[in-house]
Amino acid sequence: MATEKTVSLSAEAKAVAARVGSLRDFLAYLGEHEQCVSWPDPVMPEPDIRNISVAAGNNVSTGPAVIFDKIRGYPGKRIAVNVHGSFGNLALLLGLPKTTPVRELFFEIIRRWGSDKPLLERVAPEKAPVNENRIDKNINLYDLLPLYRINANDGGFYIGKACVVSRDPLDPDNFGKQNVGIYRIQVMGPDTFTLLSIPAHDMGRQMLMAEQHGKPLKVSVMIGNHPAMPMFAATPVGYDESEFAYASQMMGAPLRLTTAVNGTDILADTEMVIEGELQLNQREVEGPFGEFPGSYSGVRKVPLFRVTGVSHRNNPIFENIYIGKGWTEHDTLIGLNTSAPIYAQLKKDFPEVAAVNALYQHGLTGIISVKNRFSGFAKSVAMRALGTPHGTMYLKNLILVDENVDPFDLNQVMWALSTRTRANDIIVIPNMPMVPIDPAAEVPGKGHRLIIDATSFMAPDNLGADPHLVDRPMGPEIDALMQRLSELQKGSV
Amino acid sequence: MKTICPRCESTGVTQMHAGMENDQVLWRVWHCKDCAYTWRDSEPAESIDPKVRPAWAQMKGVDFDSLRQVIPPAHKPT
Ligand SMILES: [Zn+2]
Repeated sequence: MATEKTVSLSAEAKAVAARVGSLRDFLAYLGEHEQCVSWPDPVMPEPDIRNISVAAGNNVSTGPAVIFDKIRGYPGKRIAVNVHGSFGNLALLLGLPKTTPVRELFFEIIRRWGSDKPLLERVAPEKAPVNENRIDKNINLYDLLPLYRINANDGGFYIGKACVVSRDPLDPDNFGKQNVGIYRIQVMGPDTFTLLSIPAHDMGRQMLMAEQHGKPLKVSVMIGNHPAMPMFAATPVGYDESEFAYASQMMGAPLRLTTAVNGTDILADTEMVIEGELQLNQREVEGPFGEFPGSYSGVRKVPLFRVTGVSHRNNPIFENIYIGKGWTEHDTLIGLNTSAPIYAQLKKDFPEVAAVNALYQHGLTGIISVKNRFSGFAKSVAMRALGTPHGTMYLKNLILVDENVDPFDLNQVMWALSTRTRANDIIVIPNMPMVPIDPAAEVPGKGHRLIIDATSFMAPDNLGADPHLVDRPMGPEIDALMQRLSELQKGSV
Repeated sequence: MKTICPRCESTGVTQMHAGMENDQVLWRVWHCKDCAYTWRDSEPAESIDPKVRPAWAQMKGVDFDSLRQVIPPAHKPT
């Protein structure tokens, strides 16, 4: 249900929101903060783009976005990768310094979370930059996009970061039921592609409906978007809630929408829109694809789409993602937005929950920091987390730590594991639902869950020998001293 | 030499695109109509040489109709 909640932003965040209206704006803004580079040398599509993408993403704190404009065999074409590949880039988008700690980014997302009053501006199609060029005939995706293989054993060339807009085939005039999601897209021919979704996701649900009732399902594949769009397209919202509304309000600035030729709403400033139509009941062999757990998902039969038209800006940028064995841009892109709803849902029942870190592989491992109300309480919180919408499928390994342990600081989490865990404080819940592509599943979709209680002991627990904790100095005073030391270091040469 | 699919070794392959540099063909993109593998002939051997590609990734002799459906079709395709 939409709540019409609005967000209040700092002056800095407002300034960023006002000037970043598109991918191009964001790349320029990142560049001013040394967070975007143009690769100076000619590159081969494979393996150069893959390798440079991985290298850019290896620096999780401040790895830059990378633009390629000298791609051999694709003269004049451009690719951007790693746009959301570091926490520094996300911090800049939120109007914060690029060195902001992940914990603070998490709380900034939480502060904005749930705000959904639409801030949408309509742009006439003839005035929308995405319509600067239009192709209706002789469509050739291989010519329009500098396509390349993301991982060496992928089954083909994937569009991995596009935001796909689709209307409910049975209620096509309902704006709220219009879905925006990120789905993996494999190019199958000059004007065909497969789009992978599962029945549990909005797009899969719409495919099932369209084929059941023999209704057309039209999609618009938006490539190269406002940076808020992929962050929220990958965020689960209710089926009748609009990702456009969420993304606009969370950024605190209007998103410019226009209408695609096929009737869906699209971002007016997106780099390219591929309009496609589901070929009812037709399937194509799809995969493998190096997926977020770091393993290849198998080869399957997947619904096929035919391209009905393409619109694009002049000199468009093909924005893509490196995904595979972590850490990758996929983890940074969706990590905070995966953690936030779990936190919000737990907090309602358990105000003792201090923070949730579900950054790892879409939350396959989660760390919850919570103050024990009574002995054993953390385990009850863990059980509740498994019952949240995301937890039901994804939260496989849960680590519970005290409220004064920062779950985003793995050194602190390891301290808790080392000193707070008793081996009989581990719970294994067998035969639970599981993400089908998790390689640790016993059978696809079924496996076991693990809860590790690494919170402190309290009565009536046996407290053990030497139970008195050191009160480690922490907080703003220590942060200020760290800042001072870093300034002294800089000036010490 | 006839081009075959590096994955299923079918000869049913079609050139999809050619990348140009200084009016010369630098590479070609191919697609297999049987297993749907797509490749560029300039790629490293681990992707395009059947002798180097990992055995698990090969599809020679696979019955494509027996592959798992992610969303089963509601009706027979028309
Ligand atoms: Zn083949």
